[in-house]
Amino acid sequence: MSLQPSRKEFRVQTRDYRDVIGGVILVLIGLGFAAYAFQNYRLGGISRMGPGMFPLALGLILALLGAVLTGQALRRPGDWPVADPATAGLVLAGIVAFGLAIRPLGLIPAICLLVVITTLAEWRIRPVSTLALCAVLSVMAWLIFGLGLGLPVRMFWWNA
Amino acid sequence: MEMLGNLSLGLQVALAPENLIYCFAGVFFGTLIGVLPGLGPLAAISMLFPVTFYLEPTTALIMLAGIWYGTSYGGSTTAILLNIPGTPVNAVTALDGYPMSRQGRGGVALFMTTIASFIGGSVGIILLTVLAPVMVTYALRFGSAEYFALITLGLVAASTISNGSTIKSLAMVVLGIMAGTIGMDMYTGALRYTFGQRALYDGIGIAALAMGLFGVAEIIGSIHTARSRMIDRKSVRFSAMKPTRDDLKRSWRPVLRASAIGSFFGALPGTGSAIAAFVAYGMEKRLAKEPERFGKGAIEGIMAPETANNAADQTAFIPTLALGIPGSATMALMLGAMMVHGITPGPRLMVDEPSLFWGLVMSFWIGNLMLLVLNIPMIGLWVRVLLIPYHLLFPAVLVFICIGAYSIGNNPFDIWVVAVFGLLGYLMRVLDFPAAPLLLGFVLGPMLEEHFRRAMVLSQGDISVLITRPISATILGLVGLMLLWNLVSALKSRRPGPPPIS
Repeated sequence: MSLQPSRKEFRVQTRDYRDVIGGVILVLIGLGFAAYAFQNYRLGGISRMGPGMFPLALGLILALLGAVLTGQALRRPGDWPVADPATAGLVLAGIVAFGLAIRPLGLIPAICLLVVITTLAEWRIRPVSTLALCAVLSVMAWLIFGLGLGLPVRMFWWNA
Repeated sequence: MEMLGNLSLGLQVALAPENLIYCFAGVFFGTLIGVLPGLGPLAAISMLFPVTFYLEPTTALIMLAGIWYGTSYGGSTTAILLNIPGTPVNAVTALDGYPMSRQGRGGVALFMTTIASFIGGSVGIILLTVLAPVMVTYALRFGSAEYFALITLGLVAASTISNGSTIKSLAMVVLGIMAGTIGMDMYTGALRYTFGQRALYDGIGIAALAMGLFGVAEIIGSIHTARSRMIDRKSVRFSAMKPTRDDLKRSWRPVLRASAIGSFFGALPGTGSAIAAFVAYGMEKRLAKEPERFGKGAIEGIMAPETANNAADQTAFIPTLALGIPGSATMALMLGAMMVHGITPGPRLMVDEPSLFWGLVMSFWIGNLMLLVLNIPMIGLWVRVLLIPYHLLFPAVLVFICIGAYSIGNNPFDIWVVAVFGLLGYLMRVLDFPAAPLLLGFVLGPMLEEHFRRAMVLSQGDISVLITRPISATILGLVGLMLLWNLVSALKSRRPGPPPIS
């Protein structure tokens, strides 16, 4: 009774590269985190632990889990991870654009930037519906967050 | 007698006009987001979280809780009509709910699951009312060693019981705890991993983290997969909702059994609604005289999981409210919400803030009643929501998330947090790491560290205190057994974990 959507591409490999990649990333994050704590924070003793002790232990545990995962994955077949970097990139770019625009340009330009950039992620340009969506969402945001909740944010750059 | 006083106090609080309005808002938006495919309770609560900053703590919690059980109601609608579980919890409901709607009995299925949800929710609330005070009397005697053990149990249970690889879940718990160490160290005041960013001194905000991890990552993953579908509108007309005598006769026993199953799994750490629904369905199938009817539109197949998941939704509050230790990621988010509002969850909550505690509990009745009354006439509205094309929906959700993140501190910083955790969440999806354990680790991590350090200070560095105190030893023994059992079953089958429940 698998209810998960099936992966589009099944390229079965001799090794489970998805977990190999995941495991190696965990090892790197864990060791980096532990090393940073070791170098920068006081460790202290077990009865009076300093700020570095707990992070050091966490980093080492994560690295250990990553190593075990990698070890297991090298000995079993699996498939390559399937990523969609363009979609992810456009959605995240839209969010970052919103964050960059909201202070200098105001809320409504930020909303329009977010909508225009993220709708590109569909690989279909629908100028009319995108414009309409910008307008509707701007009005709604103004009504809910401006008039309703009184969020201290200006709508356009020319507002005070 | 004391109980009656508490209940009437709670009812007064829950019936205050402001609380009624926000309870309604919570269940309404909860159902709405539950209906939308891909966005589950975690996304729903985290998206609406910033809105509650403007409210009184009690009102805020009533609304957030309403969102949480509202999503379960809403998720069943899409599971039945479209075979798309609005939330993973409703995946089991789709097994028999969708065949029912293919047979033109969608209206009956929606009506009956609403009733099932209400009954399950009611049983859960009664147990919460009775058991939480009992647990509190025990919990008031717990020391740091016991809390450390309990939190460990919660974290390990969540990783070993859930579907998928235990190692990956455990790794995500640890990663979450790591994210939780960012900010000022409570004991020494030292700044950890802030890299000179003033906005990080108080740590990463839970709302922004959850919005990125669940909202944004979910959207990136579903842009090219979510499709709006056609629905047979005839099957959802009001007149098509009347259940037959046979439906009712077949339903009441599964509802009773599933209430018990759901309540049990809801209160356990690490299990929760999805497993409750799955177990309840499996049990009905096993007990049925004609198990071959299941999967082809058996009414028992929708009543059991829907009763169980709503009962579990309510009993999940028992450990969260009585101990301050959430058993699931959603409860962890509720706990985070309480802390943002300056409330320290734990056994003292019921003693120190009875109006908040009992007001929240009593609001569950009102919220469930609202869902019962509103859901049936509003099914037409939910169906129309489903017909909104995804290419209009997802930018709107993103706008809401971004404004919400900005409003947390009137600062773009939380938007960067959303983007970072959106990216992380997406990478985790690609590499098949679960996101819920990360959130659980993030919320419980600081408490885990605090209690461990305090226990070590009190015992003057004697680590054996964790296994010489009986309660703590028992709990940690249970943790050990869980890990051992998992290791053994992994070695035996080479394919760890129970079958995926999605």
